[in-house]
Amino acid sequence: MSRPESTGHASIFYNEKEAKKYDSSSRMIGVQKEITERAIELLRLPAVSEKPSFILDVGCGSGLSGKVLEEHGHIWVGCDISRDMLNVANERMENKRMDVQRRHADSSKDHQMETHSDDDDDDNASSDEDEEDESSNMRNSASTGDLLHHDMGTGLPFRPATFDACISISALQWLCYSNSKSQIPKKRLTRFFSSLYQVLRRGGRAVLQFYPETAEQAVLISECAAKVGFAGGVVVDYPNSAKAKKHYLVLTFDKAYKAPQGLSDSSLMGKSHQVRVDKGNGLRSKDAKRSVRKKNRGKTKDWILQKKQTQRNKGRDVRPDTSYTGRKRRDKF
Amino acid sequence: MRLLTHNYLQSNVKGTEKGYPLTIEPTKIEYEESPIDMEFVENILTKIDYSALLSARNQIEDRCHSDLGSDFIVPSLPEVMPKRYSDGNSKDDKIEEDETNQEAFLKSIHTILFDIHVLEGHLVCPDTGRRFNIKMGIPNMILHEDEI
Repeated sequence: MSRPESTGHASIFYNEKEAKKYDSSSRMIGVQKEITERAIELLRLPAVSEKPSFILDVGCGSGLSGKVLEEHGHIWVGCDISRDMLNVANERMENKRMDVQRRHADSSKDHQMETHSDDDDDDNASSDEDEEDESSNMRNSASTGDLLHHDMGTGLPFRPATFDACISISALQWLCYSNSKSQIPKKRLTRFFSSLYQVLRRGGRAVLQFYPETAEQAVLISECAAKVGFAGGVVVDYPNSAKAKKHYLVLTFDKAYKAPQGLSDSSLMGKSHQVRVDKGNGLRSKDAKRSVRKKNRGKTKDWILQKKQTQRNKGRDVRPDTSYTGRKRRDKF
Repeated sequence: MRLLTHNYLQSNVKGTEKGYPLTIEPTKIEYEESPIDMEFVENILTKIDYSALLSARNQIEDRCHSDLGSDFIVPSLPEVMPKRYSDGNSKDDKIEEDETNQEAFLKSIHTILFDIHVLEGHLVCPDTGRRFNIKMGIPNMILHEDEI
């Protein structure tokens, strides 16, 4: 079971149980947050204090990426094909709403304390404090997002030039798998991209992070996007790491656009080198206890004595400790 | 579903000539006050379809009265948007408009766009009559096989 896309329709894979699991996995949340931040960076939006943007989040799932958009101060609309994932997103927004209401109720009693804590929370070096307070208010308010239950492969149900930008986190590759006779990946991709072209306002940009299974898939996706008139390119971060590698399809209307260089962490490379070369000591940070016990891939006398004691405590039959216990044997190899 | 989102929603069922704006038939509405960012509301005004907003407001008014109690009044909106917002960048233009009127107008817009949530109901395409249902505040825009 390597790829969820091969198990079936997205709304079937992301059922209620899977949706809850997805949303509660701290690792998942961390990864999705990072990817979203990187996508927002690639979007090159105008500063929020100038003008918050209206952003479409395709395949928004349980709202993890939407939350990051909110923290940046944007208004967003998310769409997803799985009702269960959207329900989880709704719950999360409900909880946030209740938290905010509770906070408002508490802070209204003690206004002075609130202004002080507001200043602490905003560690932006902005000279205009009023503006900062206002935008932090928007951020601290209930969710600025709206959800839609929709299949992106059938086009986007919005009127032309609606959105300032579009992001998609780990969703696009689902279009490459057909779940019924009538679903042809190329057709669905083309349909999606041509409607995206229409609903983005001119000068807007789309950053779509996806997981291509093969190089052909990545090419197919890029080609379909280019065919409808988009300019852009694929930015690949950490291309040498199987785990950290991320593909971002950046789409613009500007033909002169040149895709930026992907991130590559040279220290990441260095670390992997270390682990391979010093096998014995390199694992120090990971398993300090083990390296103390192990001595040149062997077992020390102390360890043997300790082990025998624990076995005795369990009630097992153990030979008594003598001066021969753990003595160095003649090297047979 | 906020009225802001509704202002942009369109039906793209195959064979629809103009699936906009969708008629709202609300059966459950909620009100959620949120802090106002005047500048943001001004910016948004240049992008929304005002007549669609007006009709949406009228469509939800009755439901608001029954669901939100009689003390809640859906702010009324002028038939035509004040001139300074209907053009693109007319901020520097004539400032004859009364400051308080302006602020009141922006406040009403904010309430209608952001604070009123349609939780249950239907969206109806003006062209084909196709109904999209809204459940838990989420409109279901999934198309059938023959509508793609």
